[in-house]
Amino acid sequence: MNKILKIIGAVACVAVVASGIPAWVSGAEDGESSGGNTVVSVMFHVSTSSKEGQAYKKRIDAFNEHYKEQKIKAQATYIPRTSGSSANETALTAMKSEGTLPDIITFDSPKCSYYASKDILYNITNMVSDVKDEFIASSINYYEDKIYGLPVQESSAGFYYNKNLFRQAGISDKEISEYGDETPWTYTEFLSVCERLSSVCSTSAVDMRFKATTDETAPYLLYPFVYASGGEFCSKDGNTVTGFFDSDETASAFGFFKTLLDKKYSSYTVDANDFYNGKVGMFLSSGWTIPDLRNKNYTAFPGGEGWGLLPYPYEAEGKAASATGSWSFGITDNHHKDKTAARMLLRWLVTDESSQVITEHTGMISAKKAVNEGRYADGSPEAMLLKQLATTGKSRPAMVGYAVLSTTFNQVINDLEKSSDIKSFLTEKARTMQATIKDY
Amino acid sequence: MTKLTVLIFAVMAAVFLGVVAYDLARAKKTHTQFHIKHCAVGFLMIGPAVVLSFVFIMLPILFSLGYAFTDYQLLTPDKVKFIGFDNIADIFKEIFSGGELLTAIKNTAIFVVCVVPLQIIMALGLALFCSRKVRGAAIFKVCFFAPVVISLTVTSYLWLTILDPAETGLFNSLLGAFGIPPQDFLRDPDTAMLWIVLLSAWQGCGYQMLIFLSGLTNIRSDLYEAARLDGANAWKRFVNITVPGLKSSVLYITITVFIGACRIMVQPMLMTGYQEHTVTLSYFMYKQGYDFGFVGKSSAVALLMTIFIGLITFIQKKVLSEK
Repeated sequence: MNKILKIIGAVACVAVVASGIPAWVSGAEDGESSGGNTVVSVMFHVSTSSKEGQAYKKRIDAFNEHYKEQKIKAQATYIPRTSGSSANETALTAMKSEGTLPDIITFDSPKCSYYASKDILYNITNMVSDVKDEFIASSINYYEDKIYGLPVQESSAGFYYNKNLFRQAGISDKEISEYGDETPWTYTEFLSVCERLSSVCSTSAVDMRFKATTDETAPYLLYPFVYASGGEFCSKDGNTVTGFFDSDETASAFGFFKTLLDKKYSSYTVDANDFYNGKVGMFLSSGWTIPDLRNKNYTAFPGGEGWGLLPYPYEAEGKAASATGSWSFGITDNHHKDKTAARMLLRWLVTDESSQVITEHTGMISAKKAVNEGRYADGSPEAMLLKQLATTGKSRPAMVGYAVLSTTFNQVINDLEKSSDIKSFLTEKARTMQATIKDY
Repeated sequence: MTKLTVLIFAVMAAVFLGVVAYDLARAKKTHTQFHIKHCAVGFLMIGPAVVLSFVFIMLPILFSLGYAFTDYQLLTPDKVKFIGFDNIADIFKEIFSGGELLTAIKNTAIFVVCVVPLQIIMALGLALFCSRKVRGAAIFKVCFFAPVVISLTVTSYLWLTILDPAETGLFNSLLGAFGIPPQDFLRDPDTAMLWIVLLSAWQGCGYQMLIFLSGLTNIRSDLYEAARLDGANAWKRFVNITVPGLKSSVLYITITVFIGACRIMVQPMLMTGYQEHTVTLSYFMYKQGYDFGFVGKSSAVALLMTIFIGLITFIQKKVLSEK
């Protein structure tokens, strides 16, 4: 009996001691040094099996080699994002709770305000003030006029079009070239093209991605229309949406979408592959589609030929706007007070050389002006996107409650077809949104 | 947070060890060596289960209960303030002002009211079908049970493909053959929830079918023979013998299906996204807690939901037991 009690006692002691170990460990300055090296940790949003992940890995290896003598070592973890509440974000949240945030993270640019306001991101204005002009201005992440993130690469979107269907619809090359010239095309011109395309497209004239309302796809691709109509999403400080999200101008942008639906130029039932199969004349998508169209031998585009890219249209009385903003690097506000090593790694990851390597792997446009210089031939889709970014690129609204806006935007798009009075519909949505974002 | 977890864990461990010590001391009093060993081995064997259920069930429940009375935001765990019943008051304010929460409650209620009877009827029908002594019944059993073992995510995507709004969608192709234009079932507020109900009932009824089947085997066959001799038709035999014989199964299934239905989230999340016509209470909680970061509010909704489900389950148990 005594023996059994002793065993139970011993097990209990071990259990109690073991349960205390995590708390003890979490209080330590973990990761500060390893084998005499200063360790700087970084978490990426992609896996190493992706091309982008391989590019990061290369640059981390190069960093470790370069700073070997100075005994600074970068330690990378790769937690891929998925749609919805991603593994990446869950990990980030857990790390924040445990006080084990890595020194550098990658984050989607509209999250900047939220992360900065919740002390996840560190103000890097002074660390990067000398290099900020090297980037495309609209891609730098600001919160309350301070810099919290530098872009990994740039992303924009536009209307991919099927040259063959355009020809069949009687839209000449000359007319197309005018739409991509000095000023983008207007809503009127866009509707005129849609009308002509309708007769030759078997499903819809244009896939506006109205179906993509389960994640950030629709908000990302469609938000520039609000700016292009002269509207806004929120006040400058990002704290007020009433009076902005339901303004006449914003309602006019959603009215434009509704016109496209009412006239059957676009619909919710367009299949994601319809453009690639030659059933749809235009397809609103991001720059990630360029390598796909070039490299995959789609039915409508054999050999990667027969397609082009047009910019975002705008309301004649408004100001042209286009999508911008991709993932960014940011230093975290973690327990490491000395940010020297983190600063070195951050600057390393955004050098022209790093940007070049990442761009080559992903096929995306670099966020660094120097890397893009002379890189793309005139008239190429990338050159069009680059020009669009420089002239009309406008980032998504910087607001702490961006997640609420994104969710509401999707709801509005989804219910647009059945809404007879857009203005009052938006007013109701703005009221609900305001009630939620006030709690941030 | 970690310190609090450790503290709670230490309290729970102390309680558990106290129970062990008390039981062993009691066994010692009886001077039965076998009894002592028996107790010790028993406690050692349930030890891992106790630890696991504490870590993955009790601890989250306790934390969630606590968070319901705080202003906890997901990314600021170090700035949590106790705010009393403010979250609960906000929730009722939102419900009475006709906000999104009210929509979520309505949608959940519609889902529960539709899916509970439908799933039970489907399960009972399948069980009656499979209980017949016909060749190949085992194959049907496997087919009917198969959706239960498939993940909800997979079945949701499967139904998304079937209900694809494009002309080429499986169901729309079928409609097209009859000259009916393509339908966007999941975006249409009139049909979206109906399809989610159908998917959920189809996915879940296989499990309840097995419970009904085991219930059916417990009903004595001589009761049916006697009823047949007395001239009772199939309907009368079903109403007077089968239904009373399955009373305990019906009670268990009603309660479990009801609880499961109240927690529905995956299907609307994957099939429609966060849309007004399909948002449910659990989905609302998830959105508030994870996407918007309002853990306090989300936990308060969870607390009220738990109380409500507990209350309804209690009433169900009382009513069905009496009958």
